[in-house]
Amino acid sequence: MRFLSNRWRTSLLFRVISTTFALSILLIGATGSVLYFQIANGIYKEKTNGSVVEAQSLIQYSQEQLFSTQYIAKTKVKDVISNIVRSTDQTLTSSPRDVVLVGAPIKNQKNSLYNSASGGIPVSAIPASLRKSVEHSDKIKWIRAPIVFNDSSKSDAIIVGGLIDIPGQPTYELYYVFHLSEQETILSLVISLIWFTGIFLVLVVGLLSWYVVRQTVNPVRAAAQIAEKLTAGDLDRRMLVHGKDEMARLAISFNEMAVSMQQQISRLENLSRLQQRFVSDVSHELRTPLTTIRMASQVIFDGKEQLDPSAARSAELLMSQIARFELLLTDLLEVSRFDASASILERSPVDIKALVSQAIDQLQHEGVKQIRSNFPSGDVIAEVDPRRIERVMRNLIANAIDHSENKPIVITIKDSDTEVAVAVRDYGIGFNESEAKRLFDRFWRADPSRSRIRGGTGLGLSISLDDARLHQGTLFAWGSPNNGAQFVLTVPKLPGIPIQNDLIPANPNLTTSTSFLSFNEDDI
Amino acid sequence: MTLIMVVDDDQDLAEMLGIVLTGSGYEVDLVNSGDQVMPLFEAHEPDLILLDVMLPGMDGVEVCKAIRAKSMVPIVMLTAKGDTQDVVLGLEAGADDYMVKPFNPNELIARLKVRLRRTSANQEVIQLRIGDVLIDQVAHSIVKSDKIIPLTRLEFDLLLALAREPGRVFTREALLNEVWGYQNATDTRLVNVHVQRLRAKIEADVNNPLIIQTVRGVGYKAGA
Repeated sequence: MRFLSNRWRTSLLFRVISTTFALSILLIGATGSVLYFQIANGIYKEKTNGSVVEAQSLIQYSQEQLFSTQYIAKTKVKDVISNIVRSTDQTLTSSPRDVVLVGAPIKNQKNSLYNSASGGIPVSAIPASLRKSVEHSDKIKWIRAPIVFNDSSKSDAIIVGGLIDIPGQPTYELYYVFHLSEQETILSLVISLIWFTGIFLVLVVGLLSWYVVRQTVNPVRAAAQIAEKLTAGDLDRRMLVHGKDEMARLAISFNEMAVSMQQQISRLENLSRLQQRFVSDVSHELRTPLTTIRMASQVIFDGKEQLDPSAARSAELLMSQIARFELLLTDLLEVSRFDASASILERSPVDIKALVSQAIDQLQHEGVKQIRSNFPSGDVIAEVDPRRIERVMRNLIANAIDHSENKPIVITIKDSDTEVAVAVRDYGIGFNESEAKRLFDRFWRADPSRSRIRGGTGLGLSISLDDARLHQGTLFAWGSPNNGAQFVLTVPKLPGIPIQNDLIPANPNLTTSTSFLSFNEDDI
Repeated sequence: MTLIMVVDDDQDLAEMLGIVLTGSGYEVDLVNSGDQVMPLFEAHEPDLILLDVMLPGMDGVEVCKAIRAKSMVPIVMLTAKGDTQDVVLGLEAGADDYMVKPFNPNELIARLKVRLRRTSANQEVIQLRIGDVLIDQVAHSIVKSDKIIPLTRLEFDLLLALAREPGRVFTREALLNEVWGYQNATDTRLVNVHVQRLRAKIEADVNNPLIIQTVRGVGYKAGA
């Protein structure tokens, strides 16, 4: 049952064929029944009419025979009656009949001297209703009724009766019993013919509909298969076009769609390639003059003692702004590489502890003294792109310093067999809910005056998030106003293993009520 | 006087490099296209070549290969693309080091000084041995199975750094500091590429190195 309902839902062919079968059975059944009843009706009507006419003439003839006994000597009533009450010779006539002669009832007297019947029919087999109507009328009466024979077998028959006078006797009733066995034979033949034709038609209709539906469904199936292949990326697949019918039009339109899709895709691919080329060209074209400018400014800066104070200050500003411009250019190019999906991960096995220590050392060289580290004792080896992970750490730590209000910053590393997490926690100004939403937005700054401390480009956190994703890792942020913030980077130790555990939960203090989480949007 | 050949198609940058290098006391040869490098190189025999990767005519990587085929002179590549195949291609072609534009001129000078320095010979041990390789610090040569193997100065420095403390595991960062003069650098490609080049010259089986062994996740060490 479940198989059938499943087929019903999944196969158009099955649905159409079973519907066609059901409808054609219904239709052919109804037609057959109507046909049968019409034929049966016609046959019986014909037989009845014939029987009535025949019986009428026979009764009349019998009456004349009986009357003639009065005038012709030697002719005995008894002989005439036995001649009348006689089965037809089956070999001579096609309509077998029997005869019943029965005396009409008279008050207080018995009237059954000549009661007789042919063909093993008891006199009592004539239905009482027919007898009553015959007794009260001069006309011929008839009925269709079953006859019970002496041996109690039954058969359908048309019984036609009328009154008859036997000389010297009270009135008698003469009945002709026309057997319907022949008609029944014909009708059973008609029934079997109707059945045969019906079953044959249902099968033919079923086969035809199967054939027709297959003609329609096959191209649809082919289209579905090819559409699946196209979806899987096999863009060169096309449907075969036969002839010029609707199916051919489907195939042609389908193929046109595939072509236009392929063109669109290759156009987009081309655009992406152009974008990458553009990024690469801009990179080269901007970097070369910037190198010259930078060297020139360095030469001017180195000789600023010989310049007048305003020119010397200008040289200083030139130097610092070129440095800023350079940082911005580097970050912008990195961002456009991410946008063009042109970033390449260069993995090598490195010690994350050493990598983080390096980022810390670099900042400590610059005079930052507030960093505390909380590292595991053993080595933490992971296959990552060291340049990117170090950049993420630099960005996160620099961000923490900018917002720490000179309170301590704690860096924690934790690892499992498959992944490693680094948390950067500060106890500074933190951030609120509306700020949390924009945290990873490009060029967004919670407090523009603050970012100037370390000269960030405003792209650091956005790039860090992209770097984390490139490693199939996560970057979560937690913050609470005036309670500080925590950023947690988690990356797999080996490529291809998705992050499963929260080695370090982003929220360091789960009981704090006013805290906000900012998620790597892939995880929402 | 030390002669540095500067190969760059950008004339302004080449001129600026000339000013900076001359200011630091070097003699400078300016070349604007890759095709002119080989004739001038043979005529002047510079002590170091500063080579732009993107050049009209002969490409920087090809120039690098052509020079390496003839000389072990230090080559420093200048590239505009810091993280593409360019760098690796340049290093594999035989460049010793590279600078990503826009670079700090002081850092450039510092890097050139490292590449130009003579390994000081006043060490107590004059001859070192790892495996079947003999390092002669005075003659500045490598002898393996009685054959002198030509090494670039950088390759020599790298091998020497490892050989001086046999068994010590050097992180890539430590090697970058010691051999290339970098501070806080994380570009491990430099080390990886040069270790591969060095292995190709001195190891019997590159896939199963015995002289320079890899310590997974940490770095390299000299074998017995």
